[in-house]
Amino acid sequence: MRAFVFTDPSLQRHAGQFVWLSINTERAENAPFLAKYPVQAWPSFFVIDPRKETVAIRWVGGATVPQLEKLLADGRRSVHAPERGVAEALARADRLYGGSKNAEAAEAYREALRQAPPGWPQYPRAVESLLYALARQHDAKGCARTAQEAYSKLAHTPSAANVAASGLDCSLDLPADDPDRAALISEFTRACRDLVANPPSYVAADDLSSVYQSLVGEREAAHDAEGKTQVLSDWALFLEGVAARAKSPEGRSAFDSHRLTAYLMLNAPERAIPMLDASERDFPDDYNPAARLAVAYKAMKRYDDALAASDRALAKAYGPRKILILNNRADIYAARGDSAAARRTIEEALRFAEAFPAGQRSDTQIASLKKKLEQMP
Amino acid sequence: MKKRAFLLFVLAALAASVSLASTSASPRDVLPFIADDYPKALAAARARSVPIFVEAWAPW
Repeated sequence: MRAFVFTDPSLQRHAGQFVWLSINTERAENAPFLAKYPVQAWPSFFVIDPRKETVAIRWVGGATVPQLEKLLADGRRSVHAPERGVAEALARADRLYGGSKNAEAAEAYREALRQAPPGWPQYPRAVESLLYALARQHDAKGCARTAQEAYSKLAHTPSAANVAASGLDCSLDLPADDPDRAALISEFTRACRDLVANPPSYVAADDLSSVYQSLVGEREAAHDAEGKTQVLSDWALFLEGVAARAKSPEGRSAFDSHRLTAYLMLNAPERAIPMLDASERDFPDDYNPAARLAVAYKAMKRYDDALAASDRALAKAYGPRKILILNNRADIYAARGDSAAARRTIEEALRFAEAFPAGQRSDTQIASLKKKLEQMP
Repeated sequence: MKKRAFLLFVLAALAASVSLASTSASPRDVLPFIADDYPKALAAARARSVPIFVEAWAPW
């Protein structure tokens, strides 16, 4: 969104309606903010009521300009106007969701949807928030059913891709013996295939990329290696087209991470090298291109090049992301048979991870590093 | 569950990125974003009686 949405001049008319704050979650000075307002996925957006320091609205993931404008309008209404009826029910759900109380938020969104009149303008946002809350609760059946009910109403809106992909992912997560699993997978696969075959102009490219990813998962679950490769090839081609049409280096590089994912899954990491070299040239202060080159070179078994790229990334890296770069560096050492260096690198990552303050410290990550260390020779 | 799946897959296995939103581009040209200073934003919002819009992002 930083490259495509917040740069849209039409948003200027909202400038005076909010105080605008960008929080780089990697920076140490933002740890107190993150302890107060936990971020579970990136990007996340909040509308905060400054009087009570409470979250009026949380939105997870990307948004188009019209979706963002609706979010801003809802946020202002929620903070400024006393709510009644369905608006009150939605505001309650939004507050719970904003506080990451996903189980309670899911129930509250359902209550709001029960009260909603036909054509309710907040319906798409309520459904997408409900789907995310259910997914976080690992309620695959609830998520799939919600997506199924909503899809026909949202098929021609910017929410279509997210609802179809969430529906497919949740259906794939259902137990194998669930009697509805096959029909739900089939229904959402059809919807996802339609979206990528005829991409609507109002659906964001990153949402369509997620649809491809869900379709990869579907072929994987079907044990169809050939079909999976075909979807991966189509995904890579789609991303290359979007990157080629980008109007700036920022717009092009915004797709590097998805393209690297697709190339690695295609066992073609070498296809990532030219784009990452270009990004490293265009953004000399950014550690991401070098970190991604280290991943690609490792997959190509070019370990010296991988370590050199890792050196460049680590020289610029900061914050929790540095742990992932160190983790990959340990894997590079391990792959070339230097188990002592691999162990030292994980020990370094662990010390680094344990030093973070609340808000940035991840106990799950620390446990994972400890487990990895225990399993190392 | 696509966001969860993508997060796990990409961050754990590939050390790439969860988000297409992450670039070095600054959104400040259009909207007057305050960078990384919640107390300053909170004081300004209270003074002007307007809500705070927060973009929580990461450079990856």
